[in-house]
Amino acid sequence: MLEAREISVPLIGGHKSLAQVTSDVCSAMDRRPTLWWWLAFSIALLALGVGIAATSYQVATGIGTWGLNRTVGWAFDITNFVFWIGIGHAGTLISAILFLLRQRWRTSVNRSAEAMTIFAVICAGIFPLIHMGRPWLAFWMFPYPNYRGPLWVNFRSPLVWDFFAISTYFTISLVFWYIGLIPDCATIRDRSRGWRRKVFGILSLGWDGSYRTWLRYETVYLLLAGLATPLVISVHTIVSWDFATSIIPGWHATIFPPYFVAGAIFSGMAMVLTLMILVRKTMNLQDYITHRHVDVMCKMVLFTSGIVSLSYFTEFFTALYSNNPYEQFTFINRAFGPLGWSYWIMTSCNVLVPQFLWFKAVRRNLVVVFLISILVNVGMWFERFVIIVTSLHRDFLPSSWSTYSPTTIEIATLVGSFGLFFTLFLLFCRILPVIAIGEVKGVLEE
Amino acid sequence: MSTQIHKQYWKALEERNGAVPEDLHPHHPHEEKEIPVGRRDFLKLAGFTVGGTLLAGCQRAPVEKAIPFLIQPEEIHPGRSFYYASTCGACSAACGILIKNRDGRPIKLEGNPEHPLSRGGLCAVGQAAVLELYDSLRLKKPKISGKDVSWVEVDEAIKLRLDQLRRTGGRLRLLTGTLHGRTAAVVIEKFLGTFPNAQHIVYDPLSSSAISQAYEQTHGQRLVPRFHLDRALTIASFDADFLGTWISPLEFTGSWRAARRPDAEHPLVPYHAQFESRMSVTGSKADDRFPAAPAEIRYLLRELTSLLAAKANVPIPDRLKQQGVPASLSHVSLNKVADRLWETRGHSLIVAGLQDVESQLLCNFANHLLGSYGTTIDLEHPSRQKQGNDRALAGLVSELREGAVDALLIAGVNPAYELPLEPELLRGVPLLVSFSPYWDETSQLAHFVCPDHHFLESWGDTEPVHGIVSLMQPALEPLFETRSLLESLSAWAGELKSAYEIIQENWRLNLFPLSGAKTFESFWDQTLHDGYAKLQRPSVGAENFRTAALEAVRSEPLVPGHALALVLYPKVAITDGRHAHNPWLQELPDPISKVTWDNYACLSPQLARDLKVEEGETVLIRKGNRSLELPVNIQPGQHRGVVSVALGYGGMMTERFAHIGPKWLEALPSIGRNGRVGQNVSEWLGLTADGLSYELDEIKIEKTGRKHPIASTQTHHYLTVPKHLAPRGGERRPIIQETTLAALTEGAHEETAHHEKHPELWSEDHIYPEHHWGLVIDLDACTGCSACVIACQSENNIPVVGKDEVRRQREMHWLRIDRYYYEEGARVDVAYQPMMCQQCGHAPCETVCPVLATVHSSEGLNQQVYNRCVGTRYCANNCPYKVRRFNWFDYAHEDRLQNLSLNPDVAVRSRGIMEKCTFCVQRIQEAKIEDRRQNRPLLDGEIQPACQQSCPAQAIVFGDMKDPKSRISQLIKTRRHYRVLEETNVRPSVGYLSIVRNRGEHHEETEGKSHA
Repeated sequence: MLEAREISVPLIGGHKSLAQVTSDVCSAMDRRPTLWWWLAFSIALLALGVGIAATSYQVATGIGTWGLNRTVGWAFDITNFVFWIGIGHAGTLISAILFLLRQRWRTSVNRSAEAMTIFAVICAGIFPLIHMGRPWLAFWMFPYPNYRGPLWVNFRSPLVWDFFAISTYFTISLVFWYIGLIPDCATIRDRSRGWRRKVFGILSLGWDGSYRTWLRYETVYLLLAGLATPLVISVHTIVSWDFATSIIPGWHATIFPPYFVAGAIFSGMAMVLTLMILVRKTMNLQDYITHRHVDVMCKMVLFTSGIVSLSYFTEFFTALYSNNPYEQFTFINRAFGPLGWSYWIMTSCNVLVPQFLWFKAVRRNLVVVFLISILVNVGMWFERFVIIVTSLHRDFLPSSWSTYSPTTIEIATLVGSFGLFFTLFLLFCRILPVIAIGEVKGVLEE
Repeated sequence: MSTQIHKQYWKALEERNGAVPEDLHPHHPHEEKEIPVGRRDFLKLAGFTVGGTLLAGCQRAPVEKAIPFLIQPEEIHPGRSFYYASTCGACSAACGILIKNRDGRPIKLEGNPEHPLSRGGLCAVGQAAVLELYDSLRLKKPKISGKDVSWVEVDEAIKLRLDQLRRTGGRLRLLTGTLHGRTAAVVIEKFLGTFPNAQHIVYDPLSSSAISQAYEQTHGQRLVPRFHLDRALTIASFDADFLGTWISPLEFTGSWRAARRPDAEHPLVPYHAQFESRMSVTGSKADDRFPAAPAEIRYLLRELTSLLAAKANVPIPDRLKQQGVPASLSHVSLNKVADRLWETRGHSLIVAGLQDVESQLLCNFANHLLGSYGTTIDLEHPSRQKQGNDRALAGLVSELREGAVDALLIAGVNPAYELPLEPELLRGVPLLVSFSPYWDETSQLAHFVCPDHHFLESWGDTEPVHGIVSLMQPALEPLFETRSLLESLSAWAGELKSAYEIIQENWRLNLFPLSGAKTFESFWDQTLHDGYAKLQRPSVGAENFRTAALEAVRSEPLVPGHALALVLYPKVAITDGRHAHNPWLQELPDPISKVTWDNYACLSPQLARDLKVEEGETVLIRKGNRSLELPVNIQPGQHRGVVSVALGYGGMMTERFAHIGPKWLEALPSIGRNGRVGQNVSEWLGLTADGLSYELDEIKIEKTGRKHPIASTQTHHYLTVPKHLAPRGGERRPIIQETTLAALTEGAHEETAHHEKHPELWSEDHIYPEHHWGLVIDLDACTGCSACVIACQSENNIPVVGKDEVRRQREMHWLRIDRYYYEEGARVDVAYQPMMCQQCGHAPCETVCPVLATVHSSEGLNQQVYNRCVGTRYCANNCPYKVRRFNWFDYAHEDRLQNLSLNPDVAVRSRGIMEKCTFCVQRIQEAKIEDRRQNRPLLDGEIQPACQQSCPAQAIVFGDMKDPKSRISQLIKTRRHYRVLEETNVRPSVGYLSIVRNRGEHHEETEGKSHA
């Protein structure tokens, strides 16, 4: 009975007409930016500036400006990388997998989720680059024909797989996003004049809205969705291999691929929630991004939190059951050692906090959902920190045990990555339709 | 403007060959105008001129000729290194060295394997001396009142003053450290002989004067005997750190090692008991180590003596009779030690490092009872390495206090820094001459500074042990306008001769007759070639033990005190501070504490708990009106009633380190609030007629609440993981394995070591067609002395990073020595483990590098390709041994001149790349090329990595594991052999031999071998 009622609730509220949809979504682009937008944009730009300054200083001076040491060779850099890649997961999941699964509610959020994916992957991609001792030689990661004799990349190295996985993921996501944008670009073209008409005219690739165009468009979209689907699984699987193929206790675990994928979806969904709740409020899109959307995404968060929690438990169990003293120590140390606080932040944010989402009242309360989504992202950032730093800082030989604390430069770099992300996202909100107009029109109530 | 080539046709052969006869080149003024000098030509010419001038300017005009190669000897080629035998002058032990010269400059010092004292090793301090040769802070010219002048001016001015002294009969005092060269003695005697009232006073900052005073009383000769540890089966040491810093540690390490034969058919490991207040290197290797307060150590020595006297049935004065061991010393099994000493009498040895004549008298008596004289102690050919006479020093100080010294000449020591003197004392001397090569505390006070050479650029001779002489020879022209002490003194005595002439003349006269050689030339050449010569010197004529000397021993009952004692001690690298300005030595982790760049107050864990202080917090040490604030280092094994502080820090010369290390936003300086590295504690030394004393009773200590972070390379010190984090069964990691002599003896015919076999996924992945290099390190022999660390640093151009970087755990040493404690009840065991790249067969680093910057060689080496490295650091993360080092910054060398000591065979690494131990691949290649050139097979032992070469204990063996006859293959088969983290199946090429303790317990489980 309950389900029937749920279904009967329309996906888009407010009994919108087709024209209303267009004007609602495009109004943000027509108006001058609000004061709030300017405020957010300047904060984001400032953060980006801080990040650029810190990164330039680091590249000019040396990796030593980070708090790393002989034992902990990765910390904030790779934590941020995996964090952003994880964020990037929700976009493709929503656009591709949910599309294939005919989850019609996705239409309200897929555009911004995909944009988020692309921006997050951009943020992620910066870190492997700047974490190198000699980033100016980063092109050596690319297997191009060269005159250096038989020098080639090492296809056994997960970092090379990473390179391929991320570049593929980025390309497919970008293409997928752009293909989805074409009908909307045509809409904007048709309702604007001047330079905007020209630009969107080019971007819409001569879209004429004919039946044949729609048919081809939908075929291409379906095919791309099919292509993108395995990537959702593969990218984070490969990222997890960065750790799983090593021999460091705490990294060397077969559970990593599913665990990482689930964690990525978990954090991605949480980030989509964070952004959607903001966009909905600030851009007056309550009718498009409804409580129902939030509710569905909350359930996804809850589900993936369950997988992640199970993984945490399994990791511990495997370690304790393994009878391998190094492995056992790593996990005890992870929870109760000097960096144990990070472990407890991780578990409370990722295991305990999402449990509130079992309650419908919580899922309906956007303020609470917003807070939960932020906490989940904090928790997921710490998950990567815990995996990377607590495994490294005390491994086999006690003589080399060490600790880690970030420098201001590292913190500034993290801040900068958020600055970049929000700068891009705020620009996106101004320049492109944040909701897929064409797709939403398809799910309006008859 | 033509730049075309004007063809010059030659008219005669002479002209073509360059010799242009005037008449063949008719003068045509018209023609000259035809060849205008264009802009480009002008620039070319100008370039050549400037370049040529610069090149010409780089040529040093030689002053003293060290025979340049007019005709290049056939065997010498630029780019190939050759070796000179010489003698180390870094301390008074005078070990034999080989100076590795490359392209005309010394780049590394190595031990001379044929030298009878040092037997091939060279300690950290000796190794680091090569850096000091190129120290741009050395004085470049003599100085008068702080101003640079020429030698002529100095000589004139000083001669004037000295002549005045000769006339007036004023008191001249020459204050030096130990100078055991016979030539120096002759020159000094001659120089002092020209004065009516002159005296030569010798002191050692690390004094052994009490020993020589005691021998004067017991054997009628002022001497420090030569100890033969290789002949000892039982050693009892009372605060003598003979493996660390005492008298001649390198020699002692070699002979201590020679006595250990745990792998022989009848395993033999001498028993060694150490009584000491702090944890010393020697104590860490002892089979039984008894922590005791300084007063207790004396008491225990007396008790032991009376126990031995009872066994020997020798009557002793009543007051020396046994008084029983008080409760505070109940942990000391003195009877056991006495029994063992007595059992092996004739092959027993008691050494005492106490600066206390009474204790030394008792020590001599005990050795006499044990029959050590003539076997383990040589009095006929004693050591000459510690000539200091503290009584004479005290006499000088009282003369200075009276203002009775008219001229003081100071060479080889820095009394203004290292003695507890008021600065006014030296300032008040009318003529103060310093021979220090540095602008240090003493030369600052001096009216004249006449800088001495570095020992690598000077001629010199030494006689560290009666009858064993050796030469120092210059390996390059003096870099600065310095002059040897011998030359200065003889110039002022009226003879202007070079040190070379002086030494040769003296050797011809005095040493050659004792050599047994046919001609002087052959004797000289042979000595120069070998680095040493043995002379048939008559014995010094020590008498038999005089029991009467014991009368001088007063009896003091042991006062069970709760007062704290301060013990000042020398650290392995910094010793008395004379090399404290050497960045390599400052950054060398102390073998025990693993702390760099500072001295600190060592407290026992219990005292630290009582004071509620933690490491890195500071304490205030007070006595009377003296106070000293130092950071705390909690030292397991330290006696609870003792605070120990290292000497040699806080010197003026360490102010140079204000700017060492990378400069960036959050960088902290290497120096402390006083602008120097560490604190000088010399004012806490005692200097009385009894000599220099390194102990102080009844000090007060309090917590300050302030912090002074110390830079330690190791933060966790135990093999056991922290108790609250320990998984069941995995508390102690099987990284260090130990066995006992009893276990080895019992199972002497057991099977050889078995190694775990793991399944192979890629068995054909690496085949080693010719060689498979490996290393075996004997942990039993390793004393942690860290000579190898500096050898590696010198060989492989490893930068110094400064205190802040070490504190951030970013030291760059490719080879480190892990030090672990293991506590069993009250006993603290120490284990050292040199750890470097293990050159794994299944190297985890190799698979993860995305750009193939680390690859496996066909000889089993894990090669790091610096050019290819992009610096992802994944290899370092994935290294289970954490031996990879990353260039976090561009480590510019502080001193450009010091770059001359870089090894041209090893690349200097730039920022952002990974580096690590290469097994000294440059040495492997050099040997291989040489052998291929000579068409002969590689011999086992021909390749020695720098660490193996420097090891005084011969704990490191390098070799080809594919060659079944090689020494390393034999060692791999021994029962003690194991590999660290073998269970991870990374297949390390480095193996270790377990530690052997000579302990009563019959079977202490060899840790880890049975581990799952």
